Amino acid sequence: MSSALLSIRDLVVEFSTERGRVRAIDGVSFDLAPGETLGLVGESGCGKTVTALAVLGLIPSPPGRILSGSIRLEGRELTRLGEREYRHVRGKLISMIFQEPMTALNPVLTIATQMTDVLVRHQGMSRRRARDRAVEMLALVGIPSPEKRIDDYPHQMSGGMRQRVMIAMALSCNPKLLLADEPTTALDVTTQAQVLEEMVRLQERFGTAVILVTHDLGVVAETCRRAVVMYAGRVVEEAPVECLFEQPRHPYTEGLLASIPRIREEKLPELPTIPGSVPDLLHLPPGCRFADRCPRADELCRRREPKLELRCDIAVACHHPNRYAGCRE
Amino acid sequence: MNRETAPLLRVEGLSKHFPVRGGFFRRVTGWLKAVDDVSFQIAHGQTFGLVGESGCGKSTLGRAILRLHEPTAGRVILDGTEITALPRRALTAARRRMQIIFQDPYASLSPRRTVLQTLLEPMEVHRIGTPRTRREKVLELLHIVGMGPEVLHRYPHEFSGGQRQRIGIARALTLDPRFIVADEAVSALDVSVQSQVLNLIARLQRELGISFLFISHDLAVVQHISHQVGVMYLGRLVEIAPAEDLYRDPLHPYTRALLSAIPVPDPKRRRKRIVLQGDVPSPLAPPSGCPFRTRCPEAMPLCAERAPRLTQRHDGRAPHRVACHLY
Repeated sequence: MSSALLSIRDLVVEFSTERGRVRAIDGVSFDLAPGETLGLVGESGCGKTVTALAVLGLIPSPPGRILSGSIRLEGRELTRLGEREYRHVRGKLISMIFQEPMTALNPVLTIATQMTDVLVRHQGMSRRRARDRAVEMLALVGIPSPEKRIDDYPHQMSGGMRQRVMIAMALSCNPKLLLADEPTTALDVTTQAQVLEEMVRLQERFGTAVILVTHDLGVVAETCRRAVVMYAGRVVEEAPVECLFEQPRHPYTEGLLASIPRIREEKLPELPTIPGSVPDLLHLPPGCRFADRCPRADELCRRREPKLELRCDIAVACHHPNRYAGCRE
Repeated sequence: MNRETAPLLRVEGLSKHFPVRGGFFRRVTGWLKAVDDVSFQIAHGQTFGLVGESGCGKSTLGRAILRLHEPTAGRVILDGTEITALPRRALTAARRRMQIIFQDPYASLSPRRTVLQTLLEPMEVHRIGTPRTRREKVLELLHIVGMGPEVLHRYPHEFSGGQRQRIGIARALTLDPRFIVADEAVSALDVSVQSQVLNLIARLQRELGISFLFISHDLAVVQHISHQVGVMYLGRLVEIAPAEDLYRDPLHPYTRALLSAIPVPDPKRRRKRIVLQGDVPSPLAPPSGCPFRTRCPEAMPLCAERAPRLTQRHDGRAPHRVACHLY
C-alpha cells in the first residue's frame, strides 16, 4: 500500500544478552493508514513494545540494534536517521504515551513548564501562546479548571489526571502518529474508561493515527479498527477487529480470546486455557513458534515455520488456520 | 449451629486506621481509615471475592484478617478461634491454618532458595513431620500444582511468572491451611497463563475444601472464581451478594459503574457506559455521608448527611446487601 502513513517491513531487532544474542522481534511487517487506530497485541515478551520503540528510534543501543528491515513514515526511511533528525521526527510527527506517566513526566517541573517547552521547541511558539495552547489542550482532555491545574507538579495529580496530561502533551504538537504503550494498564477500570474515551475522541478530532500497544483484547475491541497479534517476536495474525473477534484464524489468537476472563451469563466450570508457556527466545523451535502449545500442530508445523500470508484483508501465519469465514471487509 | 453450616471465617466490624503524622514533632495529625467497620462471612470451602479499585482498602483488609496488620477494632473468628484475641505467641500456631498468596511471587520467593528449600521451610519452622515425610509432602504439593520433581533443585529466576505463582501456591498449601487470602494472585500474569492458575485455584478449593478470600481489581476474574462477592469503596463494603446475583442485578451505583467500565472483547457490543466523573477522593479526607456520593450519578441531598448502612435489600430474595440510600 502506497497510501500508508507508516510502513514496517521485515523488521528485525536484536539484543545482546549474557546468554547470547536474541531477536526480540524477527521479521515484523505491517502498515498503518493515516488516521487509523491499530492495536498491537500479545503477551509479555512477544515484541510489541520493542516494535513501538523501534518506530520511535528508541531501541537502547547497546544492547539492542535494528538488524535489518525498514520503517517508513510518509515514505521516509526512519532506520537510517541520525539521532538529531530522529528527535525532530519525534517532536513533530510522532508522539508517545507510556504506561506509567510518572516516569515520563519530570517530577521537578510544573505541567506548564513541560508542556510549553515542547511547544516552544517543536512548534516555534512564544511562551505565552504556548501556555494558552497548553491550557486549551488540558481542557480538551477533561482536566477541570485547567488554567489552575497547569501550574501543578505531576505528584499533585492522580494517575488518571497524569495520563490525561500525557495525552494532552502528546497531541499538542499535532503529530501524525501517536504510539500509546499500555496507556491505561496502570489505571483503575473506571479511570481507564474515562481516559480511553478521551483518547479516542481527540484522535478522531485531530485525525491522528494511533498504534495502541496492549495486552488487553477488550481495550482493542473497543478502540481499534485493526489489530496485529504478535507471538514470540512474530506477527501471527493481522485483521480488522470485527473479523478477528468473530473468527480468529490463528489458533493462538483463538486461544487468547477464549482465555480472557469475561463476565458471563453462565459461569463456566473451567476457563479455557492455552497449555504450556511462551518459548524461550534463545531456544526457539525450528518450526512454528506456537507449535508446542497448539492443538493443531503436526509434523509440518514442527519442521517449517509458516509465513504470514495475506488474503482478503486478513493475514495469518499458520499452516492450519481456521477457515476464512467470509468477513465482509 | 453445627460445624457444617457455621461459617469458617467471620469478620465483624473490622477496622484498620493508620495514624497520619506530620509537623515538627511527628504528631498524629489525622487518621487514614483504610478499612472501616467491615463485616462479612466466608463459608467452609467457599470463595469470597473482594473487588475494588486501588486504594479502596481491599489488601489492607486481607492483611488485617491475618493480623499481618494489627486491626484497630473488630473481631476475626476463624473456625471458632477468635484470631483477634490471640496473644502474639499463639498467633504463630494459628497461622498454620491461614495463608496468603501475593501478586508477585518473584518478590515473595527467596531468590537464593531452591524450590525444595522454599517448600520445606514452613514445615521445618512449625516442626511438622520427619525429613522423609516432609520431602514426600513437597512432591505431593508439586504434583497438586502441576509440577514434577525435576523442579526441586531450581531457583525462582529459572521459572516463568505462571510457574512461580504455582510454587507460591504450593508453599501456601504446605501446612494444610483452612483459609487462604489470595491478594491479586493472578493480576501480574498474562491471560493465557492467568486462566491456568485460576483453574488451579478453583480446583484446590473444590478438592481440598479450602476457603479463599480472593482479592482482585478484575471483576471478570472474581466472577469466575467466587461464590460470594463484596465490593469495596474507600474502606467500606458497599455491596455483598452471591456472585450470580451481583453480576445479574448489581444494586449499588458504584458496582454498576464498575461493571459497565470493563472493556468487552467484542467489537459489536459497544454498550452504554456509565462513565464516572472525577477521581476517588483522598481517604484522608473522605466525603461526609456516603463515601461514593461525590462521583455518584444518583446522589441525593440525604447522601451528604448520613452514611448509608449495609442492609438487606427489602424484597429479601437473595442474601443481597447494599449500602445505598436508594434501597
